[in-house]
Amino acid sequence: MDRRRIRVLLVEDEEIHRVVARVVLRAAGVEVEEAENGAEAVRHVRERVTGGGGAYDLILTDKQMPVMDGLEATRQIRAMGVVTPIVAVSSDSLPSDVQAFIAAGANDFAPKPLTKEKLGHILAKFGLA
Amino acid sequence: MAATMKLGTLGHAASMLSTGLLDEQFQKLLLLQDGSDPNFVAETITLFCEDGERTIGELTKQLDKRCVNFDEVAAFVHKLEGGSATVGAQRVKNTCIQFLEFCKEKSRDGCLKTLDTLRVVFYDVSGKFKAMLQLEQQQAEATK
Repeated sequence: MDRRRIRVLLVEDEEIHRVVARVVLRAAGVEVEEAENGAEAVRHVRERVTGGGGAYDLILTDKQMPVMDGLEATRQIRAMGVVTPIVAVSSDSLPSDVQAFIAAGANDFAPKPLTKEKLGHILAKFGLA
Repeated sequence: MAATMKLGTLGHAASMLSTGLLDEQFQKLLLLQDGSDPNFVAETITLFCEDGERTIGELTKQLDKRCVNFDEVAAFVHKLEGGSATVGAQRVKNTCIQFLEFCKEKSRDGCLKTLDTLRVVFYDVSGKFKAMLQLEQQQAEATK
């Protein structure tokens, strides 16, 4: 029986981080969609919720982005009733940064850069491996 | 061909690793490269070099202002810190961390001194990255 590929939404404004994360995610066999800021991410998620395309299995989001940051995007996604695991992947990794993300509704936090090992841990934690 | 290219890059990277210019994150990037995306490492380090040059230019402008906005300066440094962590440019990353401390203290002098250091370490690593890419290209052309 074919197993559906894991669908991940990658939310990141800087190309260098998207390039690396994309390769790490594809190496893990996941399907990647990308959003360049929090507002785009919220729109992608809303389209999946209302369009019946099936929810994402995982959302990886940066913190500092133009238009809408990762914290606000996380709040708005949770406000839609979406329970998809959200993991912040950010260089801002002080305890206060982590706590802010968890308070906004994120499930976990990983400091940048995204690596195979960190992704493996995230996928295993949320039963997606 | 891919194996030859990798060996050339690894040789170059080995000296950058041994001198502390790069850390193990760069080795992880090399291991991620495969046939489906043979330009991945070149693309990533090119982005780092281009973004880094732009950021250093912006930092120079910001610190030249009569009234420095340290939050804006910190945002630019943070961006370079993230990029350097992603490619394993350890010395650049560590200099950015020091820079952010001076931004927190709102010390223009501290920021200016660290910007000088940042320029030196950034152009050192980006120069070596560019030499690496040139070597890769020459090897690729030689094996055609």
